[in-house]
Amino acid sequence: MRPFLRRTRWPVGGPIGGTSSVILRTAVRLILPLTFLFAVYAALKGHNGPGGGFIAGLVASVGLCTYRMSYGYQAFHRLVPLHPRWLVFIGLGLAVGVAALPLAAGNPVLRSAATSIHLGNADLHLVSSTAFDLGVLMVVVGVAIGMISRLDEEAER
Amino acid sequence: MCPVMMASPILVLLAVGAPVLAGLASMVLPGRRTLARPLVAAVGPVLALVLLTIHLQRHGLSTNGTPTDALAWVPSLHLDVSFLVDGLGTFFALLIAGVGVLVVLYSRAFFGPDDTALARFLPTLGFFTSAMLGIVLADHLLLTVLFWEMTSISSFLLIGWDRDDPEAGRRALQAFVTTGLGGLSLLGGVLLLGGTTDLWRWSEVIGGAATLDPSGAVAASFALMFAGAAAKSAQWPLHDWLPGAMRAPTPVSAYLHSATMVKAGVFLVGRMLPVFGVLAAWVPLVTAIGTSTMILGAVLALRQHDLKRIFAYTTVSQLGLLIATYGMGGATTSHGDPAIDWDLTQIANHALYKAPLFLVAGALGVLAGAKRLPDLFGLWRRSRSGTRASLLVLLLAGYALAGGPGTLSFVAKELFFDAVRHAADGRPVLALVGAGGVIAAACNVAIFVRLATTILGRGPGLRSDEAPNAPTNSGPITDRWSILLWLPAALLVALQYVGGLLPPVWNAAARPLEVNRHAEAFADGLPWPWEPFLHPGLPLLLSAIAIVGGTALGLSPRLRGERIDPHSGLWPAAYRGILRGGHRAFHSVQTGHLRLYLTVVFGALLLGIGWAAWINPDMLSTPDSMSPLESPTGLLLGAVVCSTAIALPLVEERVVRVLVLGASGFAVVGLYILYQAPDLALTQLMFEIISVILFLLVLRLLPPLDRRPQVRVLPRLALASVVGLSIGWMTLLAGHAAEQRASDTPTLGTFFEDHSLEGSVITNGRGGEGRNIVNVILVDFRGFDTLGEITVLATAALGVWSMLPSRRWLRDEPVQSATTEDGP
Repeated sequence: MRPFLRRTRWPVGGPIGGTSSVILRTAVRLILPLTFLFAVYAALKGHNGPGGGFIAGLVASVGLCTYRMSYGYQAFHRLVPLHPRWLVFIGLGLAVGVAALPLAAGNPVLRSAATSIHLGNADLHLVSSTAFDLGVLMVVVGVAIGMISRLDEEAER
Repeated sequence: MCPVMMASPILVLLAVGAPVLAGLASMVLPGRRTLARPLVAAVGPVLALVLLTIHLQRHGLSTNGTPTDALAWVPSLHLDVSFLVDGLGTFFALLIAGVGVLVVLYSRAFFGPDDTALARFLPTLGFFTSAMLGIVLADHLLLTVLFWEMTSISSFLLIGWDRDDPEAGRRALQAFVTTGLGGLSLLGGVLLLGGTTDLWRWSEVIGGAATLDPSGAVAASFALMFAGAAAKSAQWPLHDWLPGAMRAPTPVSAYLHSATMVKAGVFLVGRMLPVFGVLAAWVPLVTAIGTSTMILGAVLALRQHDLKRIFAYTTVSQLGLLIATYGMGGATTSHGDPAIDWDLTQIANHALYKAPLFLVAGALGVLAGAKRLPDLFGLWRRSRSGTRASLLVLLLAGYALAGGPGTLSFVAKELFFDAVRHAADGRPVLALVGAGGVIAAACNVAIFVRLATTILGRGPGLRSDEAPNAPTNSGPITDRWSILLWLPAALLVALQYVGGLLPPVWNAAARPLEVNRHAEAFADGLPWPWEPFLHPGLPLLLSAIAIVGGTALGLSPRLRGERIDPHSGLWPAAYRGILRGGHRAFHSVQTGHLRLYLTVVFGALLLGIGWAAWINPDMLSTPDSMSPLESPTGLLLGAVVCSTAIALPLVEERVVRVLVLGASGFAVVGLYILYQAPDLALTQLMFEIISVILFLLVLRLLPPLDRRPQVRVLPRLALASVVGLSIGWMTLLAGHAAEQRASDTPTLGTFFEDHSLEGSVITNGRGGEGRNIVNVILVDFRGFDTLGEITVLATAALGVWSMLPSRRWLRDEPVQSATTEDGP
């Protein structure tokens, strides 16, 4: 029996993709954390400002793809040890779960709920749609990096 | 109809479900259990009988057409689960469950100690039994259709039982397609009837039969439903699947293709009689189809040598007789009664001799290796007890097939001819049905005579050209349970003689179920066997003609050769024709040229736009308040978009094309920013980056560019320009229309604007709780769309992963922890 969420062994060997351009590699190393930061910001802030799960997912995917192109296969795998399909499954499961949760309370599917938490003198406004949006983000990231890295493998061969 | 007395459907539902559950239970028994499996599976039909009996004791037979309560299932389709336990349904349920028990036990002997075969066979048989019980007990029309299709599926599985026999697969397909198409026709009829009259239950339809308008939609739905019944009951010209289905193992032939499934069509016609019997088309259509099938089947049965095929064609013939019986039920006698009597006994009669015939035919295959009639020549003298018992049952059942005096079959024939005589009072042309009945009966008698002379090895029996097989009294796969090879058949045949010789017993059992009892001659029940001879009449005369003529035919050397059914070419021809047509259509549409597809798509688009412009010529006039010079920046970006679009086809290198395409996309991003749509701009930006990456990756996999001179550039250029200009024009009009609309008109846009943060009266005070309208639309107002979209994305990714399997992946090497590269 295969355990759920086993740490996928991403195989190594074969020609390693990646570029030898020092400038690109250095730039990507600097940019990638910023990309993630921006993606998280866009995802969480998306309900009120520009952003949202889809955009955030695309931003993160672009960052990851450039990283994969400049550092190659193995480094990418160390960064994302899961097979991207798990991102897709978990994201889709999260979205479906958030969508189905209101059914338990007798409400229609996808009925959103909101609450505010007082933190000192600031209000933290929490909306259930944000969880749904995070599911969208994970699906987008999983699909994008999954497809691109698979095509990259084909191209490298 | 007081609600307190209404019956719960649970018991009936359990009765319907019991066989399939028991079948599944028999499958999961661990280890080798050749005896326990059939016993467990046999519990299913027995349980169905018990549950049905309990239901009947509690609530009685639904004589006035009251159904059980309904369990809601799909209310939006008016579909619920309710049952109609009336005489017709109960009779069929008894037949199905009763024969079902015997067939399960018989299959133990037939498959011998082959445990895997039993484990595979019994659940399928249980599935079929449940589906069949569902058909005959369902009250809702759509429920009937559902179970109807389930019998088609299980029949397909059972006919194609032998996975190594390609012919069995072909025949299974033929049966499935024929009965499946019939099922679709039935569905069409049901939908038409339900849609026009809003009556969705048999109980309602039968109760409201008098109010139906006997023309138009009702007549059409009758025709469609009858087509479905005719396909299932193997009526001419769709009968060819039934002899073909004899490729199935014998228990299947005995159960599905003689006793039960083929009777589903007869059942349906019986259900339809109270509803559609008054239609002008009923008597001519149903009787003509039934009679022609009856004659055709009997004549063809005479020309067969294979035992199962002989019985298959006599089944076709008998099904025709049953359909014709119901056909005459629409005609009235001189007393004004329907010309139909004891129809259920007529149906039971057939099951009680045909199922034994099949069962014994299979038993002889096991015991003596004989599948064809000539192989049986003189077998009686060559064989010992087990085989002799089978042969005895075969002869007794064959005597019933011939309708000899003393059997239920003889009485059934009297009933049939009596009904013909009454129906012909009003419509003389129906006398032809009687003539057909005599021909069919004579053929049956001839078949029995040949069977008897061959088995006993006396007189002009059929002789095999080759040396007869050595009689094997104890074959390799027989064991002590071989008694089950002939015992179930003997039980069924015994009932034939009970009905024929002891009519009071039969009357007591059958009378409560029989709805159609009209004729005076049979008002007190079936007669004692000697009574017809005391009061001879036309029916007896016709029977005598059939017996004398049939005996002469059976003894004569004429009409003995094997003859192939002329209809057997219909199915292969139709099948080949459909395949060929499909190939032709496929290859003319799917050429594999992307350019052709695009031309078709764009052409259709232009046609649509042109049609819209033709209806509303205002589309072609320039909107009034257009100011092209409103925004110089926008003009500049637009020029970039246009020039990149024009440059695309002029550039030769693919990489440059990708970059030019990207430039066009970035210019669009600029436009979004200019018009203050940051979400769109961000999305488009990321999307452009990803597509450039993807393109660059894919480009390496593409074959070298074909640089041959392009022929016929001009038409394509024209099409591309027209499409581009039209789409641009439509976009312009759309944007303009949004601006032109009066600000107080409620639109979806204003609704989203008003409710994205806070709710109002329309939304019961609930808002989207967000200031970003785009995002609130995506995750809240239109959240369901988003859910669908990410599902599509995930599915597409799964497709990529499965169609481009990673070869590195398959090697499954462990991850090396120490490498030269560092993460951030």
